[in-house]
Amino acid sequence: MNSKKVKIIYLKEMKDMLRDRRTLVSMILIPILLFPVLMFGMSSLMIKMTKQAAKRVNPIVVIGGDNAPALFSQLKVDKSFEIVQENDYQTALKDKKITAALEFSTDFEEKIDTGDSAQVKIYYDAAEIRSEMASGKLDNIFKAFQDSVVTERLKVKKVDRSLLHPVEVQKENLAPKEKMGGFFLAMFLPYMIMIMALTGAMYPAIDLTAGEKERGTMETLLVSPASRGEITSGKFLTVFTASLITSIVSTGSMVITAGSSFTRFEEMGKGAVFSVNPLSILILFLLMIPYCCLASSILLSLSLFAKSYKEAQSYLSPLLIVIILPAMVSFLPGFELSAKLAFIPVINTSLVLKEVLLGTYHWGFIGLIFLSTAFYATIAVFITRRLFEKEQVLFRT
Amino acid sequence: MIKTINLSKTFQDKKRGEIRAVDNVNLECQPGKIFGLLGLNGAGKTTLMRLLSTVLKPTSGTAKINGFDILSEPEKVRSNIGFLSSDTALYPRLTAQETVTYFARLNGLDEDLIQKRTDELFRIFNMESFRDRRVDKLSSGMKQKVSLARTIIHNPKILILDEPTLGLDVITSRNIIQFIRKAKEEDKCVLFSTHIMYEAEKLCDEIAVIHQGKILAVGTLEKLRDTVKLKNLDEIFVKLVGEEHEF
Repeated sequence: MNSKKVKIIYLKEMKDMLRDRRTLVSMILIPILLFPVLMFGMSSLMIKMTKQAAKRVNPIVVIGGDNAPALFSQLKVDKSFEIVQENDYQTALKDKKITAALEFSTDFEEKIDTGDSAQVKIYYDAAEIRSEMASGKLDNIFKAFQDSVVTERLKVKKVDRSLLHPVEVQKENLAPKEKMGGFFLAMFLPYMIMIMALTGAMYPAIDLTAGEKERGTMETLLVSPASRGEITSGKFLTVFTASLITSIVSTGSMVITAGSSFTRFEEMGKGAVFSVNPLSILILFLLMIPYCCLASSILLSLSLFAKSYKEAQSYLSPLLIVIILPAMVSFLPGFELSAKLAFIPVINTSLVLKEVLLGTYHWGFIGLIFLSTAFYATIAVFITRRLFEKEQVLFRT
Repeated sequence: MIKTINLSKTFQDKKRGEIRAVDNVNLECQPGKIFGLLGLNGAGKTTLMRLLSTVLKPTSGTAKINGFDILSEPEKVRSNIGFLSSDTALYPRLTAQETVTYFARLNGLDEDLIQKRTDELFRIFNMESFRDRRVDKLSSGMKQKVSLARTIIHNPKILILDEPTLGLDVITSRNIIQFIRKAKEEDKCVLFSTHIMYEAEKLCDEIAVIHQGKILAVGTLEKLRDTVKLKNLDEIFVKLVGEEHEF
């Protein structure tokens, strides 16, 4: 194989690819725009909704409010509740006219005064989020009330409050703030980047194979002095470059987006500070190399088999699902890397990327996964090369 | 020159079984001569030419192109031929200049020579005005000129042209015919396939009639006339391939 010819083919294919608007959109534009839109959009929406829900006034029905005058007047002044009159609270709840109904027992005040247990019922609809939230708020009000009653009663009996709490549990989150920030990224990034690496290379792969067949340029290239091996190598390197560029652009876009939406994370993630170790990013790219090789040669092989652009697309769509499902393991809690999983392509990369982004470097696994993916990629490249030599594939009718 | 030795190619078809697309073909085309391959659609012309260009591998037999064997030295064969057919299209997103330069580089020409050859060809074919225009913005006549320049950029000794005038307008077809004549003057060996009789009559020094993969007759037009005892090439052709193809 002549490396000069491979270079000539590679450079021509790159030039050709960068002039294709479809490829540019899927390789650069989508990865740049997707994350900001997703992350800003989603987090803003979530925060907005939570705030709105907190501000929202909940209409409630109170039955027997006079039985608990202290609580009733507290509820009346509480801005998150509006006490309304409805004869049939069950129908009102069903019709969403109210979010909850309260019923104080007739002896409520009396039982509180005598040191007994008083009863209040909350009627709500657990299948309705607003109703569920209103019941939670009411719960909190009663807990606070209960707490104040208990304190009062203990004071009368001259008992210290610590009697009620023989063990004081103190929880402290030792996870560094970076880890908390990295946690969000570690969940999304491996999954997203692995899919983007595939979608970014998809159009170039189709264009360079089935597209060339359809346009009739494949035969022009085949009658040139370039060997099949040189043609395969040039095309493979082009698709691989597309895949890697998409990975780099996606990662860059995601890291920058996550970093700039810092305050949003603060609100969402309990003081999480976003930061990624440069070493993690370096390892991420290193591990993406064999993965992109594998993805590129699978894409090339499948689309080479197709006679037309459309046929190639119908072959590649199921492939996307085959990759998306195992890549999703980075989302699953408790799915940890093991020696066995290190040999399963896609899953291994997804899991190790998650660990690496969390700042855990299991060098043995990192090396093993790099090598095993590289091994699969070599086989896939070999198959692609063989397919390029098959007349039945190149001139399929 | 081109010399085929018992060249055969069979395909397996699920419905029709074994198809002998090229059946034991023995031909010899000399330098400075235009050799016409005459046949109906599906007669095996394209398969034969694809075998000679090494894009397909023969089932049995072989061929020598300028002394190189199509089986053992396919890359050398390809650098000695200029191949043009209706299936060899151009890259739409490259310019005329980029297209020709790309194939020149693949043929191993150095940059100085590429510059010299492209300047020469762009002048000869009158392509200067659209030199830097993308192929997808060119008319079909312009595209055909770029294809011709692409085919001969490396100055090959042998030209294999598979129905080069197929689907082209009169003016563009004439350009191609002129191009073939010029190649002959330059002592190139031209193998040219067509199903248009008058083209073959006008151009070819030797004609082979191919039908169902087999060569039915080969020789100069005079020799064919003598053999079949008919004057017009279309009558000779019909006589050779059999009356059953007539309506």
